[in-house]
Amino acid sequence: MPTLGELESTIMDRLWSYRRPASVRDVLEDLRGDREIAYTTVMTVMDKLHKKGLLKRHPQGKAYIYETVLSKEAYTAGQMRETLARSENQAATLVHFLERLTPEESAALEAALQVFPPRGRS
Amino acid sequence: MIAVVLAVYAAAGTALLPRLLGWARWRDHAPRLAISLWLAACGSVILAAIFAAIAAAAPSHRIGHGLTGLARAALALLGNRFDPAAIPVRAWFAIGAAGLILAALAQGLGGVLYVTWRERRRHAEMLAVVGRHDHRIGATVLDYGEPMAYCLPGRRPKTVITTAALRSLVPDHVAAVLAHERAHLRGRHHLLLAVAQGLARAFPGLPLFTRAGSEIARLVELRADDVAARRHPRVHIAAAVVSLATGRAPAFALGAGGENALVRVSRMLNPATPLRLREKLIGVAAVAVLLTGPAIIAASPGLMGAVMHHCYTLAFF
Repeated sequence: MPTLGELESTIMDRLWSYRRPASVRDVLEDLRGDREIAYTTVMTVMDKLHKKGLLKRHPQGKAYIYETVLSKEAYTAGQMRETLARSENQAATLVHFLERLTPEESAALEAALQVFPPRGRS
Repeated sequence: MIAVVLAVYAAAGTALLPRLLGWARWRDHAPRLAISLWLAACGSVILAAIFAAIAAAAPSHRIGHGLTGLARAALALLGNRFDPAAIPVRAWFAIGAAGLILAALAQGLGGVLYVTWRERRRHAEMLAVVGRHDHRIGATVLDYGEPMAYCLPGRRPKTVITTAALRSLVPDHVAAVLAHERAHLRGRHHLLLAVAQGLARAFPGLPLFTRAGSEIARLVELRADDVAARRHPRVHIAAAVVSLATGRAPAFALGAGGENALVRVSRMLNPATPLRLREKLIGVAAVAVLLTGPAIIAASPGLMGAVMHHCYTLAFF
C-alpha cells in the first residue's frame, strides 16, 4: 500500500505528463494500469493537492476537472528560489553545499587539481 | 564588586573574544574544537552577564557566601519570601537586566527554531511531490537545473542532489559530496547553526554573536569535509567543491562569497598536520574555563571563605 505522499507524487507526475486537464476518473483509469486503487482515494489525494495549491479545478458536470497550476520545472524552480532566498539568513533550514567561485578562481583550482593524480578511479 | 567584575568581563568579552578566536591559526585544522570554543565563548559572556545581574541584585552579605548564597538570594527574590518593598531600586534594575537577557535568548532561539521548522516542512512537502529516491546513491534526486547538493534535517532527514549536479560530477565525486552532506546530518550541524543564529538574533550588533554565527556556519562545512575525507579521497572532495561552485548562475544572491570554497579546496589538497594532544588539551581546557569561569568568579568570595576556614582548622592541628 503506497503512502499518501507517494500517491501525491505519482498523481502529480501523471498530470504533468498529460499536459492537459484531467478528471479523477481519467487519473484513476491511468493508475489502474499498474495498481489496485479506489476512486475515493484518488479523489481525496487530488482534493488535497488542490488545497495545497498545486492543482486548480473547475466543475464539469457532476465532477471536477483538474489541471496543474505550474509546470513541474516552474514549480520546482519557484520553491527552490524561495527556500534559497530565505536560507541566506537561515542556513539552518537546509545545510547546503553552496559555494561560489569566480571563473578565474575555478580555473586556478582546476589546474591545482590536475597536479593531483586522481588515484586511478575517477 | 563581584557584579562589576562580571559585568566588565561580559562587556569586554563581547568585543575581545571574537578577535582572540579570530586570531587562532589552528581553527581551520580543528573545526570541531573551534566550534566548541565559539559556543563556549558565547555561553561564557551570557552567563557572566546573568551572574552579574544576580550579584548586583542580591544583598551583599548574602553574596559573601558564594554560589549557595547567590542561589539562596535568587530563591528569596523569587520565592515566597518575596517582598517587593525590601528590594532596593538598584536590584530591580539588575533583575530587569537578567530578565531581558533571558527573554532575548528565548525569543532569538525560539524564533529561529520556529522559522526553520516551518521552512523545512515546506521544503519536505515539495520534495515529496517532485523528488525521487535513488536507492543506488541513497539520496533524493531533484530534477533541477542548478548543480546543488544539500541535506534537509528533520525527523526523516534527507540528502538531496539535483540532476544538474549528477550530470556535472563523476560518480566518485557524487559519493564524496553525499558523504559530506551525511556528515552534516550525523553531526547535527543544523542544531549548531540554529543555536548560532539564534544567539546572533537575540543579541544583534554584538560582535561576538555575529561573528560566532558566521564562523560556525563556515566551520561546519570544514568539519563535514573532514568526516567525508575518512572514507573518500580528499582530492575527490576538493574536485566536487570546485565543480559545484563553478558556473553557478547568479540567480541566488547568496551572501557567502568564494573564500570558503578556496579554503576548503586547499585544506583538502594540503592536509595540515593534526593538532597534537597538548594543543587539543589546551583547547578543551579553554572551553572549560570559559564555561565555568563566570560561576567561579561569582562564587569567589565563598571559595575564599572556605579556604580561609580550612586554613584555620589546619592551623589548629
